[in-house]
Amino acid sequence: MSVVVIGLSHRTSPVELRERFAFADEKIPGALAALRASGIASEATILSTCNRVEIYTATPLAPETAFAELKKFLVAHHAYDKTLGDEIYSFAEPHSLQHLFKVASGLDSMVIGETEIFGQLKSAYELALAHQHTGVRLNKAFQRAFNVAKHIRTATNIQRGSVSVMSAAVELAEKIFSSLAEHEVLVIGAGETSEKTARALQSRGVKKITVTNRSPERAAALAAELGGRAVPFENWPDEFERIDIAISSTAAPQHILDRAKLEPLMKRRKNRPLLLIDIAVPRDIDPAVNALDNVYLYNVDDLQSIADDYLNLRKEEVAHCEKIIAEKVAALFSATDLHR
Amino acid sequence: MSWFTDRHFFLLAVAFYGLSMLYSVFLWRKGFRRDEWVNYFLLAAGVALHTLAMIKRGLTLQSCPVNNLYEATTFLLWALGLACLIYSLLPRFKFLAAFTAPVLFTVGIFALMPSLDPPHGLKPDFSNWLRSLHAATILQSYGAFGLAAVAAAMFLMQQHDLKFHKLRALLSLLPSIQRLELITLRLTLVGFILFTVGLVTGSQLPRPAGDAYLSDPKVLWSALMWLVYLELIVARVFFGRSTRRFTIGVVLTFVFLLLTFGITNHFSSLHNQ
Repeated sequence: MSVVVIGLSHRTSPVELRERFAFADEKIPGALAALRASGIASEATILSTCNRVEIYTATPLAPETAFAELKKFLVAHHAYDKTLGDEIYSFAEPHSLQHLFKVASGLDSMVIGETEIFGQLKSAYELALAHQHTGVRLNKAFQRAFNVAKHIRTATNIQRGSVSVMSAAVELAEKIFSSLAEHEVLVIGAGETSEKTARALQSRGVKKITVTNRSPERAAALAAELGGRAVPFENWPDEFERIDIAISSTAAPQHILDRAKLEPLMKRRKNRPLLLIDIAVPRDIDPAVNALDNVYLYNVDDLQSIADDYLNLRKEEVAHCEKIIAEKVAALFSATDLHR
Repeated sequence: MSWFTDRHFFLLAVAFYGLSMLYSVFLWRKGFRRDEWVNYFLLAAGVALHTLAMIKRGLTLQSCPVNNLYEATTFLLWALGLACLIYSLLPRFKFLAAFTAPVLFTVGIFALMPSLDPPHGLKPDFSNWLRSLHAATILQSYGAFGLAAVAAAMFLMQQHDLKFHKLRALLSLLPSIQRLELITLRLTLVGFILFTVGLVTGSQLPRPAGDAYLSDPKVLWSALMWLVYLELIVARVFFGRSTRRFTIGVVLTFVFLLLTFGITNHFSSLHNQ
């Protein structure tokens, strides 16, 4: 009896194929029961997310036979009538366990180190456990995978830093201000990215959000959604005395804020630090304002560059994480013996 | 172990400050990304040895060891080191030690010059509580000004990195610049209050015959330092001077204090009795 895995992910297949093989949550218990009834697996768990579909099994069959049977099951279950090639991958022990540990740790994710997959894997395992489709082998393998993922999270930098424009903006704000709860945000232009950035700041404690937009209705709607207030577009400079973070994403063809306009505003603010996040293209804020004291201007490229640098740092950590995983898998096979 | 004098203890303390400084260079090169205690313990070992050196000297003299330039400088450094160890316990302030170590090491090397520690002649009489209060508050104020300069240097580094979009600003485990500015201002205020108390108590001390306060270089220098710190605080608190100018002022004023402290002390007849 050994643990094997078969599946397809964002690395091997396009989204059209992944969605074709995806399992709806409510259909997973039935699929697991069918899989066990077929004799291919004595224990099984199905992980189905937007980026991967994987079947983990403890099987009495030889790995090569198990791979062929599992592939047949997958194709038959989804009534897929075309030929599958390299889109499907399969691993036998010990690589199956290494793969499971990598998935749990976010090393195999599209955004390396992301944590959402950990929750998805846990839900998949708990679903199989609740319907009694797991046993000693898969229980041990999955529980060890969760422990290893937690260890990797604390012992390495794989999850460090912001890998999205929104979270990079939040991190910057936290490096400038002691506590976001004491600062107000002005959203100029009610676009989608500015809304997401404002929400990200809100989730980190920002209490007051003011929204302004050329269309007052859109401003009022977003303000209501964010629990803030709307102000007429002509009046947004008056808000600068109170706010400390401004997110700008208007469709204006030229700068709406330049040095000549900001200088007197900074005097009225008594030179308190001001974080300007310009996510508009073309840019809303003249880059020359960054030369003013206590003004910190970041445009969308700056934020993207931060996110990319963080992603590169995460990639540099992968080798370290893989070493930990190799050690943990070896320990699982020696001291505790997975098959006992 | 009678050959092992208080100066040997201080020499060892300076060696630990030197190790801490070297480790600080390593931390700086790594972008202050590792949250760890090595540097803190190196500095703590230095301060412990430094304390032993001061106790040993104090016991020998049977008085507070601030009788010559060596003793005054070591007292100043000790106040700075101790305050740094305490402030480093605040969340995200562990790297204060990395910024303080270079000051402790370089000024410590300066203090070790034998000419700064001549054999004592007549010692100041510290049985007078006012005299003790004067010496203690003045030296503690220098410690507070020194730590304010260290926090200001951290602010300037972090602000530069944020302004020029350097990833180190986000990767480093330093406090927010707003917090660093607040700490700099508070430490400057604490230093200023202690300095004022020190100057007021000094003015109440009996004046030796033939000496005029206003012609003593140390007194004039102290008055100048007091005015400079007053200007820094008033301009920042009441006139909204930019944080950058304020922190640069705090760093430069402390550097000036360090560079001129010894010279004015040397030429002051009031402080060489």
